[in-house]
Amino acid sequence: MVDSVKEIQTTCCYCGAGCQLLFTVDQKANQILDVHPVNGRTNAGKACLKGWYGWDYLNDPQILTKRLREPMIRKDGKKSPLKIVTWDEAINFVADNFKKIKEKWGPNSFLAAASARGPGNEAGYITQKFARAVIGTNNIDHCARICHAASVVGSMQTIGEGAMSLSIPEIEDCEIIFNIGYNAPVSHPIVARRIVRAKEKGAYIICADPRITETARIADKHLQLKGGTNVALVNAMAHVIISEDLLDHEFVKAHTKGFDEFWAIVKEDTPERSAEICGLTADDIRLAARKYASSKHSVITWGMGITQFSQGVETVKCCCSLAMLTGNFGHYACGTGPVRGQNNVQGTCDMGDLPNVYPGYQSVTDPAAQAKFEKAWGVKLDNKVGIQLTRIPEFVIHEKNPANRIHAYYITGEDPAQSDPDLEELRESLDEIDFVVCQDIFWNKTCLHADAILPSTSWGEHDGVYTSSDRGFQRIRKVLEPIGNILPDWEITCRIARAMGYPMPHYRNTEEIWNEVIDLSPKFTGATYEKLEKYVSIQWPCWDKGWTDKGTMFLHKDGYFATPDGIGILKTSPYHPPAEVESKDYPITLCTVREVGHYSVRTMTGNCRTLRNLEDEPGWVEISPEDARELGLKHEELVRISSKRGSVITRASITERVKKGAVYMTYQWWVGACNELTISILDPSSKTPEYKYCACKIEKLPDQKAAWAAVNKTLLDIRMNMHIDITRQGVSA
Amino acid sequence: MNSFVIANSSRCIGCRTCMIACVVAHEGKRIFEIDPDGYAFNPRLFMVKTVKLSAPVQCRHCENAACKQACTSGAINIGNGTVSINSKRCIGCKNCVVACPFGAIEIIKTVEINKDGYPRKIASKCDLCQGVAESPQCIRVCPTEALSLVTEDILIGNLRQKRIDSLNAWL
Repeated sequence: MVDSVKEIQTTCCYCGAGCQLLFTVDQKANQILDVHPVNGRTNAGKACLKGWYGWDYLNDPQILTKRLREPMIRKDGKKSPLKIVTWDEAINFVADNFKKIKEKWGPNSFLAAASARGPGNEAGYITQKFARAVIGTNNIDHCARICHAASVVGSMQTIGEGAMSLSIPEIEDCEIIFNIGYNAPVSHPIVARRIVRAKEKGAYIICADPRITETARIADKHLQLKGGTNVALVNAMAHVIISEDLLDHEFVKAHTKGFDEFWAIVKEDTPERSAEICGLTADDIRLAARKYASSKHSVITWGMGITQFSQGVETVKCCCSLAMLTGNFGHYACGTGPVRGQNNVQGTCDMGDLPNVYPGYQSVTDPAAQAKFEKAWGVKLDNKVGIQLTRIPEFVIHEKNPANRIHAYYITGEDPAQSDPDLEELRESLDEIDFVVCQDIFWNKTCLHADAILPSTSWGEHDGVYTSSDRGFQRIRKVLEPIGNILPDWEITCRIARAMGYPMPHYRNTEEIWNEVIDLSPKFTGATYEKLEKYVSIQWPCWDKGWTDKGTMFLHKDGYFATPDGIGILKTSPYHPPAEVESKDYPITLCTVREVGHYSVRTMTGNCRTLRNLEDEPGWVEISPEDARELGLKHEELVRISSKRGSVITRASITERVKKGAVYMTYQWWVGACNELTISILDPSSKTPEYKYCACKIEKLPDQKAAWAAVNKTLLDIRMNMHIDITRQGVSA
Repeated sequence: MNSFVIANSSRCIGCRTCMIACVVAHEGKRIFEIDPDGYAFNPRLFMVKTVKLSAPVQCRHCENAACKQACTSGAINIGNGTVSINSKRCIGCKNCVVACPFGAIEIIKTVEINKDGYPRKIASKCDLCQGVAESPQCIRVCPTEALSLVTEDILIGNLRQKRIDSLNAWL
């Protein structure tokens, strides 16, 4: 090996599985020579297509968008052209505008979105510290809001901890795996591997999903329920468990409360009644409940299929309750598994990038926590819970009184103009906000509405710590030298803070920030860089810095929950239907799903050569053969899909894996952008949007040639807006 | 006896990591650096999904290969335990595509341009990564270990076991 060739181990930048990858890099040429998975706690030497082949966006091939390389501002006011400036000028511009808005409208007119993707925990910590200590608001949030916030809220209210109770490797030793609204083969292939292995070891797999997903295909029992009826199903399962006396009486008595109130609700939800709502048979519901209750090694894994509903929190609470009723907490291979979608969405929650908690899940309304952080940060802090990022339209275009509005939005590593529901409403809101800052690695749709664009380093270009979905802290390491005038996210935010007059320390590296994090967060205190170096992965809680505390594999040991009194609370709610149901004009339901080879808003994977070869614009809408026949559609033909809110063109994927009356679109596409259609109705307590259910219609496009021309025109416009100056081939039939 | 790669559909999760691995093996790692429109993406195995099954399908490397018998240009050879296509000799007549009972061969557009200005199109199929990698790369990358190489030894070993099992079934 040449001297300049080095091997560097890091954690994958996609999904919460936290796979360990080994990079071979020619440091002199600043070039990646090889990437392959190595043995990590969760991935056991395996990786999916994104892990193996999802890194070449780093060399900026400019397929969908282009890397940001220089800070840019609209010096001459909103809508004036963006101009490249020095970092000093950009930082002062941002700091001055934040200061002015804070002085005029108060600290709560500001909202920051932290990034659950590349930047890492240290940057996440700095973002919330900036919002809280520099601006003086708890209006700090991140994209967990649009995915697993319902899991955090629902789990907190029942078992006291919002994360996976068990670890990913334990899944393969479970005897019953109840997947609900979770399709691991697409969202987390490496978790799917554990489910496949569990099945081979004899586990019984139940899958509740309206589609025949890959999970459903390998399941022993597929409950193909109607979309939006999760609560009816889980309540009926609880009904069966209680009425057939399949309870763990000892566990329920010793470790839970609220049984009578819980039974009062689920008593009404007989299997017969729910079967009608869900489109299942009562016997199937009974079978699933009996199977689930038959083991002390039952796990419930869930994903967006239960959280992205206006009853998301209620479903989560009932899932936690099912586990409590059957004594499936507190020992090896059981519990609840809300498996996190993004690489560091668990970490960004851990770091307190949420409106209600400081780092380490310490409540902003707890005077002791407030006093501790006031002392550490040297400022007075607000004890009022902040607002969530999905409420931007509510606090901008729907708020009549300017004094109550959001006037500044600091967005780091997110693209709400692609990821949020009802994009037209979101774009209108972004344009109404006085000052929008977009801090990212790529040009994205949100940048088009930004007053300042701050280019940051990507995963692979900086150090840090990510938290995997099962609470595992793991290091990320710099692989390449960043190209261009770009800085790590934490450093940009620190500079803005100092320009606003706050004495943000001059951290020399991420370890110094991490030390501040762990010293303020008892649950994380033991996870030092030194220990992470040695143990590679440490699952919180890890209380002690001594070498013997290696973290915690599963939570709620022996049934002692993380609630204040250690007792779990059984909770659920009666079922109600989704907000927007089918109508005469919009007779089909739309549910948003995902594509295995693409990630999040696709700025990263859309710029990975082979991943885009596998799947490209304008994406797909999955439709049943019956619906396709009625519309006269052929497989792969372009169609128009519309809701009350918008309309896009995409390709029809005709498949028997979906039922008549429901269609499914992957949310990664920019041409076939399903969020132009989705509804911005929110779960009342988690404020998570109901992405999984709205009404739509599909129209045949008789002139396919013209439709393809329209698709390619849209794609060309996107590429121009994203500042790609290379002529690229379009997409074709 | 020729070897072949086979997929276990109860392990396959349909992720298609294998399909990219195939392209990377045959095009080389340079594709992660070059112009994204500057190479051809032609996996030699094909993900098939039905209601009940998901699995990639690829060449069975038949002993009396119908593709070889159908080939009009002598481009298909059997040797080294595989059935392989000599891309230089292939004229793109599609006889092999028609003859193959597995749907494992397809005509691909290469990045080469013929003298007449049209892209060169040839038959393409799994070659077990012979001459491009030390082993079939689809097997190496599969996250659920759904793919395996069936060699003569494995096939005979399995037969032996099946015969024992069938006897035991009478006990």
